Amino acid sequence: MPETLLPILIFSALALAVIGAWRRIRLWRQGRPAEVDLLQGLAAMPRRYLVDLHHVVARDRAMSHTHVATAGGFVAAAVLMILVHGLGWTNPLLGGGLLVASATMFVGSLFVAKRRCDPPARLSRGPWMRLPKSLMAFSGGVFLITLSTLGLLPVEAGHWLAALVLAGLVTWGLGELFLGMTWGGPMKHAFAGALHLAFHRRPERFSAKGGGTGRSTGLKALDLDDTAVPLGVETPGDFTWNQLLGFDACVQCGRCEVACPAFAAGQPLNPKKLIQDMVVGMAGGSDANYAGSAYPSPGLGGKPVGEHSLERYGSPHGPIVAREGTALVDAGTLWSCTTCRACVEECPMMIEHVDAIVDMRRFLTLERGNTPGKGAEVLDNLIATDNPGGFDPGSRLHWAADLDLPLMADVQQAEVLLWLGDGAFDMRNQRTLRALVKILRAAGVDFAVLGTEERDSGDVARRLGDEATFQSLARRNIATLSKYRFQRIVTCDPHSFHVLGNEYGDFYPQGRDGRYDVAHHSTFISELHEGGRLTFRPWKGGSVTYHDPCYLGRYNGEYEAPRKVLAALGIQVAEMARSGFRSRCCGGGGGAPITDIPGKQRIPDMRMNDVKETGAELVAVGCPQCTAMLEGVVDAGAEVRDIAELVAEALVEHSTTQGTVRASRPATEEAIP
Amino acid sequence: MQPESRGLEVAVLVSVGRHPVTGRARRADQDARGLELALSLAAFRPDSRVRLLHAGQRDDDNETALRGYLGMARGVGTGLERLTLLEQPEGADVVPALAERLAATPPQLVVTGARAEQGEGSGLLPYVLAERLGWPLVNGLVEVESIEDDRMTLLQALPRGQRRRIQVRLPAVVTVDGAAAPARQSAFGPARRGSIKVEAALAVPDEAFAGWTLSPARKRPRRLKIVKSASARDRFKAAAGKAQGGGGQLLTDVTPEQAAEAILRLLEEEGVMR
Amino acid sequence: MNREIDTIRRDPRREWIARNRLHPEHLGVLAELGRQGASAATEWMGPNGVIRKNPHAPGFTGPNGLKRIDRSGVQQAAAAGRGAGHRMVAADERRRVTIEAPAFLVAVVPDMPGGRLSSHDRDLLGLARQLADADPARPCAVLAVAFGEHNREGGGELKEQAFAEAGVDRLLTIEGDGHTGFVPEAWLAGLVAVERELAPRHWLLPDSALGGADLGRRLAARLGERPATGVWQVDADATAPSGWRCTARGAVDRLDIQRPLPRVVLALAECAEPVSETRHAAEAMTLSQSPPEALSRIEDLGQVAVDPAGVALAEAEFILSAGNGVKDWEGFHHAARMLGATEGASRVAVDDGFMPRDRQVGATGTWVTARVYVAVGISGAIQHLQGIQGCDKVVAINRDSGCDMIKRADLAVIGDSSSILAALVDVLERDPALTRKGEKQDAA
Repeated sequence: MPETLLPILIFSALALAVIGAWRRIRLWRQGRPAEVDLLQGLAAMPRRYLVDLHHVVARDRAMSHTHVATAGGFVAAAVLMILVHGLGWTNPLLGGGLLVASATMFVGSLFVAKRRCDPPARLSRGPWMRLPKSLMAFSGGVFLITLSTLGLLPVEAGHWLAALVLAGLVTWGLGELFLGMTWGGPMKHAFAGALHLAFHRRPERFSAKGGGTGRSTGLKALDLDDTAVPLGVETPGDFTWNQLLGFDACVQCGRCEVACPAFAAGQPLNPKKLIQDMVVGMAGGSDANYAGSAYPSPGLGGKPVGEHSLERYGSPHGPIVAREGTALVDAGTLWSCTTCRACVEECPMMIEHVDAIVDMRRFLTLERGNTPGKGAEVLDNLIATDNPGGFDPGSRLHWAADLDLPLMADVQQAEVLLWLGDGAFDMRNQRTLRALVKILRAAGVDFAVLGTEERDSGDVARRLGDEATFQSLARRNIATLSKYRFQRIVTCDPHSFHVLGNEYGDFYPQGRDGRYDVAHHSTFISELHEGGRLTFRPWKGGSVTYHDPCYLGRYNGEYEAPRKVLAALGIQVAEMARSGFRSRCCGGGGGAPITDIPGKQRIPDMRMNDVKETGAELVAVGCPQCTAMLEGVVDAGAEVRDIAELVAEALVEHSTTQGTVRASRPATEEAIP
Repeated sequence: MQPESRGLEVAVLVSVGRHPVTGRARRADQDARGLELALSLAAFRPDSRVRLLHAGQRDDDNETALRGYLGMARGVGTGLERLTLLEQPEGADVVPALAERLAATPPQLVVTGARAEQGEGSGLLPYVLAERLGWPLVNGLVEVESIEDDRMTLLQALPRGQRRRIQVRLPAVVTVDGAAAPARQSAFGPARRGSIKVEAALAVPDEAFAGWTLSPARKRPRRLKIVKSASARDRFKAAAGKAQGGGGQLLTDVTPEQAAEAILRLLEEEGVMR
Repeated sequence: MNREIDTIRRDPRREWIARNRLHPEHLGVLAELGRQGASAATEWMGPNGVIRKNPHAPGFTGPNGLKRIDRSGVQQAAAAGRGAGHRMVAADERRRVTIEAPAFLVAVVPDMPGGRLSSHDRDLLGLARQLADADPARPCAVLAVAFGEHNREGGGELKEQAFAEAGVDRLLTIEGDGHTGFVPEAWLAGLVAVERELAPRHWLLPDSALGGADLGRRLAARLGERPATGVWQVDADATAPSGWRCTARGAVDRLDIQRPLPRVVLALAECAEPVSETRHAAEAMTLSQSPPEALSRIEDLGQVAVDPAGVALAEAEFILSAGNGVKDWEGFHHAARMLGATEGASRVAVDDGFMPRDRQVGATGTWVTARVYVAVGISGAIQHLQGIQGCDKVVAINRDSGCDMIKRADLAVIGDSSSILAALVDVLERDPALTRKGEKQDAA
């Protein structure tokens, strides 16, 4: 009987799966077109899966092995099953392989089941709780049927009851694994995930055999010249199709939820829920079936689930964020994000949460004019004064009146262009800038500043969704920069660093190529020290920890240089539990302090608690935002100092003769080749 | 608020403002507040329509600034899809053009800011318009409380955050105070989509203004405290000495009562305890 | 008979000894001269009627035997307190000026908040005098036009005196039932009647939010005159038609406009020095015809009670701001109410949920420009200090005498904030004059 039943089951499951796939693809195709090299993507997919995805998954060893066993076993078992049972190739070799594969899968699913016994809060429940059983049903069923097919079963397998049970198991398994893959069960992640990897909107973020950067963090530009392009995302259909595909790949593992600082602070954001809401928006229905942690809500345990839906207003393609009342997502959810990328860094499916959030923010700001908190004021200031504080742009260099900084306008060229950032208006950050100038002078660096020609880099405007103001600032800054010759830009502001280095590339005038060579001051100081141009007194203070700024670390991969500088100062860094790529945000990014969405606690307070746990008396930082946020914590145990300040204090000044030797610097070249 | 009541026709006169720090063209603060206030009238008369009117030159800077008002549109049907620009040559007196236009198609309410952020900025325009139209004018409007038939009840700003309730008969001209609700954010999308309809209009050159000398504002000399004292020493001290009570007086080990006395004395001196 | 007794007899020798510091009898003679009268020793009438001074008399012998003269005024003031009262006499005497037949009139419409002349009004009257007295050959009169009852300040007599001392020659009071509250149409009708009957050469009004700015523009529009607004300086200029040139602010204080002085002038405070030397007649005038009853389309429904706590921080002129050191929040709010102060807060107080976000003062909150800023229990984070840069006077109440706010403060009190605030409230409750004053102001 199995010989006749199994092929029917298998091929009808496959056929249904294909129909489901076609329907799923139609859902994705609601999105706007995106330029994707389909063939190349498909070709690169296995490598992206095996190398990049597993690089992330392998951070959890046990889960990684479980997944290898289960998924590997399943893929092998599925292929062999089609050959053996579907096409009837009862070759002992293939059958043996099928036995091994299904046994491996069964072992893997035991581990999956074990994890589901008492699952951590981050895991979604609901259909996901049934998945290990389905996996076991499939693998166990296939194993036994294969045994009987190969005649290895000692008992006569023709017993109709056993056969019926086995057929039931296999049907269940096929239903979950084949149909569920394309019709929307937990296994959807395999189908959508594979295609998502192939057609990812940031192909450059994957490693390449030839060695790529493997990092792509700059936001994608919005084409403002083409009035047909929607300004941001209003409805799910305003996402590009591969973004929608990406949302569908989510496995609801909740790693993002654990990493998200806003979620931990009780602000109404949970990246996992957000992605699931996007899936709801694409596929229809409400979020009632969501079975994970809700958006936190001050006062309540969490926002109630089931009230949010696109269909609330009668249209399945209505706005994601309602003008009034609730639709799919509340605006506060989008504005809680600090754009720290901790979720993106943790996501094993390589989903781009921050891109999606900024896309939706763009609509709220550019079309609705609904930037919350002090957002509107900050954007108006940026438009009118080129800095978020509304200060007189002519006073940008007032803090340095006594420093006699060389101006680019006077010297026309310099080895290093020192980008001051908007911290130049902040009295706290001026101390850092003074320290940095002292260091550069001590090392005899040939540097100059733009002075009053400098403008805000546009970071805040862009994260607040005001792409128009960002592009205006970027274009004008590029025009200013292109007047002068310098080798690299050094800045103590990681936000400027990121924007200048990673996001200005889209706005270079025609005929220019390449990127500015931008360095964070910690990188530059580290190089100066390695080049023997700086000498430090040994550190005499107490224990020190280091806080990785998101825009330096996760956005630009610079984890080493600041630690090298601290080591050169003789400081042994007492690392926080969350440091490096897992560093917790200070709460200052993405305009979060401007939009100021209330939560049950503040992000910087949590971060200073992390500091306290290390017992450090001082926390070294490398970002004006982090300094401001962490220093704003009341009754903090630790002092907050910028790396530049620590270096400047420990500096042993060289005699002037050495300084003049430095004058024989390499000839200045044009910044952009 | 009767359902059969007609919507209100509101004309908002908008000007090109100047940012106080950088002097860049922008939507003028008070005019934008005026538009905000006009848009809020929809709460009383749901079918209210807002007409945006500007008389002035037509150039890129001005257009960007004027689009700032169009960017305040939320949804369709408020009348904010279009701004009428009565084109005027440089140095023209805009009053005749505006008066002619308003008299030709009279709205029920004209809303303006108190004064322009550039040029003479005398704040005379609404008064002259009201005079020409023969309508009542109320200045310093902060909030509209209700509209019944042809009567509008509103709050007027007084110094120190005080308010006065006033009823005015429509049609009327109102000017908006800086204490009125701040204008909503101007969004890029609607600002870009909105159209600016340029219309020819009466052009009367402002000859008087052309004859005046304009210069950046000088800092006004601070008036010295005039001390009519017979003693040269007292006069000298008043002229050259530091203000009394300054210089960071520090009171330690005082009773709360003494401290309160000292603080009250300073408050009295500064005249905030009125 | 005894004429010698009255005659002051000079003793040249003793005078010589008194001048000669090296003479052995010098000190004795000085002491003797000094005993004759408190001031006689240092100043006396010389033989030619010239006041002579003894330069040696002032001062005292210091601890090391050297003579010391203290010019700080401490000794002098003490001496003056004893002897000299005659110098102060008649210092307040003003020259009386009466102008019988003025060549023309300069009309001033003062704001008179609370029925009194404000300092702005006095400045304006000073400016009017400047215009009226320019040609000594043709004296002109300053006409003050006042509406309704303005005699709150102690009745008619004192009011007249206030106008007289402010430089008013003629006082025209337009009274009537219709002139109370905000009645711009009736006021305007009154001014138009004055214009018709007296045709003043200039109309001066304060360009103030208290009413002058509005009324002045109404008047100008009605008269068809183009006024000068925001005038802060007036100079004589023979080339101008009116003989005067003025400097006015334009474009929201960004421009200075130089132009001939027009008929209607709206001037800023401190546009001229107030009258201080003279006393004028302030002769009451009446119009031959009372102004017509104007059709009123604007109705004043009275003032609305406004909670000072609700005033926007950026507008507030008196802020009581709370920080981490405030423990008794009820007491803080009560003190703010009693003082009539707008409430502010440091970032910490806002973050901790004690105060709403829109009350946050500082670089990341609102930049304030209050005249007085009272920081209660705020240590003075740099962002906070940045936000209060624009404040005139800062008062700090804090436990920690070393904090940055104390360094910034003009008056710093070290102590427990709740008890100091309680003491403040106590004083205010005990002294009803302060609170009554507050009410009166609100009514103004």
